[in-house]
Amino acid sequence: MILFECESISKSFIGSTVLQDIGFSLEAGQVLGIVGENGAGKSTLMNILGGVLEADTGQMRLLGESYAPKNPAEASARGIAFIHQELNLFTNLSVSENLFITSFPRRRIAGIGLIHRTRLREAASRLLDLVELPLDPEILVERLSLGERQLVEIAKALSVDARLIIFDEPTTSLTSRESTRLFAIIERLCAERRSVVYISHVLDDVLRLADHVLVLRDGEIVGRGPKSQFELGQLVTLMVGRQIEQLYPPRCSVPSPEVALELKEVSQPGIIENISFHLHKGEILGIAGLMGSGRSELARIVFGLETHARGTILLNGKPLPPRSPKECVRRGIAFLTENRREEGLLMDWDIARNLALVQAPFYARGPARLIRDAALLERVAGTAGKVRLDPSILQGMAVKALSGGNQQKVVLGKWLVGNPAVYLLDEPTRGIDVGTRYEVYRIINQLAFTGTALLVISSEIEELMGLCDRILVMCRGEIAASFEREQFDREAILRSALWNSHEFSSG
Amino acid sequence: MRLLLSESLVLFLSLAYFLLLAPFTPGLASYGNLKNVFSNMLPLLVVGIGQTYVLIGGGIDLSVTSIIALSSVVGGILMNSQNGVLAGTSWAVPVGVLVMLLVGIILGLLNGMAITRLTMPPFIVTLTAMMFFGGFAIWLTQSQNIRNLPAGFTALGKGYWLGIPLSLLVTVLLAALAHLLLSRSLLGRWLYATGLNARAAEVSGVPIKTVILWSYMVSGFCASAASILYTGRLETASPVLGQRIFLDVIGAAVIGGTSLFGGKGRISWTVFGVLFISLLDNSLNLLGLSNFMILMVKGTVILIAAVLDALRVRQA
Amino acid sequence: MNFLPDKILLRFLANTSWLLGVAVFLFFGVLSPRFLEVANLVNILIQSSSAAIVAIGMTFVLLTGGIDLSVGAVMFLSAVVAGKMVLSGLPLPLAILAIMAIGIVIGCVNALFITRLKILAFVVTLATLYVGRGLALMISQTRAMNLPETFLHIGSARLLEVPFPILVFAVVLVSSHLVLSRTAYGRQIYAVGNDLTSGAKAGIPVFRIQASVYIISGFLAAVGGIVSVAQLGAVSPTFGNQREFAAVAAAVLGGTSLFGGRGKVFPGTILGAILIQAVENGLVILNADPYIYPLITASIIFLAVLLDSLQHQQLRKLARRKIRPA
Repeated sequence: MILFECESISKSFIGSTVLQDIGFSLEAGQVLGIVGENGAGKSTLMNILGGVLEADTGQMRLLGESYAPKNPAEASARGIAFIHQELNLFTNLSVSENLFITSFPRRRIAGIGLIHRTRLREAASRLLDLVELPLDPEILVERLSLGERQLVEIAKALSVDARLIIFDEPTTSLTSRESTRLFAIIERLCAERRSVVYISHVLDDVLRLADHVLVLRDGEIVGRGPKSQFELGQLVTLMVGRQIEQLYPPRCSVPSPEVALELKEVSQPGIIENISFHLHKGEILGIAGLMGSGRSELARIVFGLETHARGTILLNGKPLPPRSPKECVRRGIAFLTENRREEGLLMDWDIARNLALVQAPFYARGPARLIRDAALLERVAGTAGKVRLDPSILQGMAVKALSGGNQQKVVLGKWLVGNPAVYLLDEPTRGIDVGTRYEVYRIINQLAFTGTALLVISSEIEELMGLCDRILVMCRGEIAASFEREQFDREAILRSALWNSHEFSSG
Repeated sequence: MRLLLSESLVLFLSLAYFLLLAPFTPGLASYGNLKNVFSNMLPLLVVGIGQTYVLIGGGIDLSVTSIIALSSVVGGILMNSQNGVLAGTSWAVPVGVLVMLLVGIILGLLNGMAITRLTMPPFIVTLTAMMFFGGFAIWLTQSQNIRNLPAGFTALGKGYWLGIPLSLLVTVLLAALAHLLLSRSLLGRWLYATGLNARAAEVSGVPIKTVILWSYMVSGFCASAASILYTGRLETASPVLGQRIFLDVIGAAVIGGTSLFGGKGRISWTVFGVLFISLLDNSLNLLGLSNFMILMVKGTVILIAAVLDALRVRQA
Repeated sequence: MNFLPDKILLRFLANTSWLLGVAVFLFFGVLSPRFLEVANLVNILIQSSSAAIVAIGMTFVLLTGGIDLSVGAVMFLSAVVAGKMVLSGLPLPLAILAIMAIGIVIGCVNALFITRLKILAFVVTLATLYVGRGLALMISQTRAMNLPETFLHIGSARLLEVPFPILVFAVVLVSSHLVLSRTAYGRQIYAVGNDLTSGAKAGIPVFRIQASVYIISGFLAAVGGIVSVAQLGAVSPTFGNQREFAAVAAAVLGGTSLFGGRGKVFPGTILGAILIQAVENGLVILNADPYIYPLITASIIFLAVLLDSLQHQQLRKLARRKIRPA
């Protein structure tokens, strides 16, 4: 019996196509595994199924009836449960309360609707049994481990009698034992004739669980079939098989042997573990890894935005003080944040003021620390020219009115105004157009040519391959592999970034 | 709507208000009364300057009235000629003034430390500071006023220099300095950045905690400077000095257009705001409204100013 | 495994109100045996009932992460209106209904500005504080008002040997505790205070809940006003002054967080209210300088808020997303 099917689903955001002509069907009691790189369109597809987004074209049918949810509530009423990657639990409430926050069982006492506590308890216990979580339903969520919380979230999704359950990266915060438990649950759900869509980067798990596999790349289906048709290496090849379209400006320099930045066994419990590497002058060092692999956290720790418990960070052989971005700036470290909107720019300021913020202390004179505005502005205008920002919009226009590409140029530009010796670039080309991308690559190359050391973090492996001298791959907070330029191989890099849950359990 | 959200709205509003009320309000436009309005404005403006700094940095300082009171009382205890600690000595006034300013700076420092180091919410920190230091001032003096202040000191509040009131001179000087620092200095630039978006500021290398600490110290300093002007003018140190202006200070800054959400504000706006509040206060008095009616009006005006502020922020 | 000490610290921070309570009773008990006599303890309970009722209302507001500074003004305004009505010959029950209506109306005004116009709660309620006090001063013409005997009668009335203030206090306490701990609405208040966006996502009517707590707070402030007036028999122009601080202090001292989502009326807020009253009572017995009272109250609030902030920071640290098992 076919439970769910869809055909020719397409979706685009502001001109760029995210999903194109997607169609598949799912039988009752089966698991569909969906794999694909970051940005392949998995989340968009699932958001359409879960009623978070609406498709531009295409039809969906649930049990033969037309299905086009306007919102998540409608999807849930039709029997589709969506378990998101991020947790939506109220940590100050008990497990049972979280499970029934909008649907408490009630009883009337003297006209007042009180929560029926015994029934609540029973109902909660039943749900917890479903996910095999032997917890007291009265325990507060804040006292649970992340894995247990994930299971509670799953139990919550099961509280509505779901026919189709979507799991988006459910094992990210689970230990291997908890993952095994989750797999048993999924198998039982299938035995009850429910269907499951399972999205994960852990290809082993997908191959183990799924009856059918769907491979997405750039919003299109590039492979599908029963799992017996696939093996791990083949999946990776399918996921990657994109032609490199982006042109990269040629490198015309080689790294110097001199070390600019050195990390020695830097650790922060729960975040990163034993990170050591050298970054040379004139070198572009790439950091690859999935979202949540600890790559951004690493940069933030180096820049002093977050603490680290152990290890030392040396700039030109001298240790950096902990937790002081100001001192990092003073000593010549630049940090380009991946979160432009919230951390990169002061949206109400104009370009000139934004560009000038980092360098302002170096232009402050006298006991009152008055800023020499004219000199600073001249300097800023020079930088604006370097990143090719229109000089006529430097002043008087708030940066929030600019396009994403121009905003990114401002974020990069504010560091270029000074001459930092080390750049930490977190997703330097996220959400910007092709022209600006090339511009950013050119600037990065130019910086390396002048002996600047650059650390580039990116989700796009070919960007790193086109740009870097060396690539480190992070996985679960550790450096999983290191590749020299001549060893660059897209599949190998991706494979070391996709961790293997079973290897991990032994560590 | 544009005018309603514009930044110099308050100046127009003050003028319109004045022109509208002048014909009906006996004595509003008289020289003596205007002089009165302006001399009332001065110390309020000085406190308002400090409040503007704190608000721009994204905080709020509700403790200024108590800083004024405590500073006044400490000055009185040191300088009064009856049983003052420094009574009769030739350096009583300079030392007294210095200690008064120091009281303000230290209290501001304490506020700032609690907010930045202990990460407590600003409004509750400064609210408890208001209760504590206000209570402390009353306890120190057992709720008595202190008179017999040296003439050298009272001159600061009511004296003249070359025909110009000293208090005016002090206020203008302070306002000019505050304006210069805010618009031209590194601290000013950092303060705006911190108030607008503390995370982005920190990522750009702004030492946000130090900046916030400074803003509270400036506020404390300004409050104690205002205390000197008030105490000098009244020739009396009083432990309840300043209590009356609690609403006026925040009202003046917010009405002027300084945002309660941080990152926006100017000394000139605060000047307009103070002008408006003082005019309001004065005219309502002249119209024979009782004290509590004035309180109600001021409460309403602040609410309206806050609504406008929220609208401005959402428009942006 | 370095979060074990964190959890111990958290446990300590969560239970400071009990420790403080024991310390206060020991301190005054040792200095003056009279403090621990039953009559005095009952006295403390009666004296604290009004403040506790107001603090219960404040707890509702704090649980959503808001604050209500207008409660003192509501107490004053309702007392004045009730006094005027009874003095002009209207029956007492009508007056009591009227003042409850006043509390609700002011609560509605607060709720409107905070949830609809999105203005910071402390600014809105600061403004209504002044408007409310101004209104009350206008009605009372800034004079102290001696109330008719009927008020004092209810103040000293007893039902089954239980004094009237304690009775009202008990009713408010039991019902609010039931609402907060046993109804869907109550649990949703906690959810909203914990995470507003998650609450909206889960389908909780967040704005209606936010609005309702200010109305409850206004209503309970009016009730607290009556209870207090019934004991005093008169309304002075400073009546209700700074009671908002006492209410915040009681709630925070009892473990309610200014950051929302954390706290209980029983035992928390009640314990806090009694603690504050006990300190005042103890100081009176010891004949302490009355000018020192506000200093002590302010110090207690500061300490409570400090502990709350530390606890909040600690919790945030524990809640941080982990990439790998620590």
